[in-house]
Amino acid sequence: MKVNTLVFNGLLAALYVAVSLLIQPFGFTNVQFRISEMFNHLVVFNKKFFFGIILGVFITNLFSPLGWFDLVFGVAHSAISLSIIIMLAKYIKNKLVLLFMNALIFSFNMFIIAFELKLALGLPFLFSWLTTAAGELVVLAVGIPLIYLLNKRVHFDDVL
Amino acid sequence: MNNSLIIGQYVPGNSLVHKLDPRTKITIIFFYVITVFFANSLASYSVLVVFALACMFTSRVPLRFIMKGLTPVWFLIIFTFILHLFVTKEGTVIFDFWIFEFYSGGVIQGFAISIRFFLLILVTSLLTLTTTPIEITDAIEDMLRPLNKVRFPVHELALMMSISLRFIPTLMQETDKISRAQASRGVDFRTGPIKDRIKAVVPLLVPLFVSAFKRAEELAMAMEARGYQGGEGRTKLRELKIELRDIMVYLLFACVIALLFLTRNYS
Repeated sequence: MKVNTLVFNGLLAALYVAVSLLIQPFGFTNVQFRISEMFNHLVVFNKKFFFGIILGVFITNLFSPLGWFDLVFGVAHSAISLSIIIMLAKYIKNKLVLLFMNALIFSFNMFIIAFELKLALGLPFLFSWLTTAAGELVVLAVGIPLIYLLNKRVHFDDVL
Repeated sequence: MNNSLIIGQYVPGNSLVHKLDPRTKITIIFFYVITVFFANSLASYSVLVVFALACMFTSRVPLRFIMKGLTPVWFLIIFTFILHLFVTKEGTVIFDFWIFEFYSGGVIQGFAISIRFFLLILVTSLLTLTTTPIEITDAIEDMLRPLNKVRFPVHELALMMSISLRFIPTLMQETDKISRAQASRGVDFRTGPIKDRIKAVVPLLVPLFVSAFKRAEELAMAMEARGYQGGEGRTKLRELKIELRDIMVYLLFACVIALLFLTRNYS
């Protein structure tokens, strides 16, 4: 791994954590809207951000009270979804289409989190799949224009 | 702001739990989390509860820190309990209300799952309460070392995590500063329709990304100038070492697991 890739991903992970701890444009008591969840879209512009995003999820969950359980399943969820989108990016070149695909894949893969909830709390699988997927879809759908605009200013494909 | 700058939940201390090798703690918690799912009787749950409480008291972490960590999950625990109360239809009817009938099986299952979840949270949060993030990073690097054989970049990931931990407070300060600067220019983050509030995030994210990437560039340049070249032959500032107390704790934990399997099915 090149030094540049390593350091940029480290900083990206730090930014992920900082943003998820500080910026919450609106939060209900339990459903929180994690702006940093939108960082998942970055991999569409540059697949080298893969590790930074995963690490961001990992560290954020390390500090979360839900603990380890969330850590393993959350990281698995991100890693699997990001890998799928990296594979798709080889065939689909249109960034906007990829962003939409990303939102759908992340939401669909929430079955991993639903499985976690079933295992830990015995919550009904389908019910939690639907609710968590709906939440994820909203965040990532809102994220599409945001990250698209952001890329016009920051040029994620150029920095690394 | 100052409070939230302290990342993680680490509470400094000098107890046995603090002094244990982080690898020991991670291993034990890993197996504890698995064994919790094997408990199926009152006696076996008691073994697990006693172990968790013993760890909690040995760590001498003030109760309020532990309770603070549990606040966000109370809702989830209560919700789950109520759900099981309504859904499970086993055992005898113990309570009858309007069109609802509550069964003894529901109460038992609700309790069992709530206690299991409570134990999971308690034990895992003890790790982050008594171990610094850097210690956790070191332990993870060491434990993942076998993955080097399949060319998984273990050292690089650990360094990435250390860099990240180092810069989280800096970037949090930066986030705070930029959001104040933008607020003073009239950006409104707190009121107005949700659409506007989301849009307000853009003037915050752009400078944040630019400054984070600028820092990254400088750091990468500094590392290259000093001849950084990866994991081969690098020495460590902090060496992990398994001591006698770690072995004792492993033995004790083995006894706990044995006791758990002995008390399974014993009601």
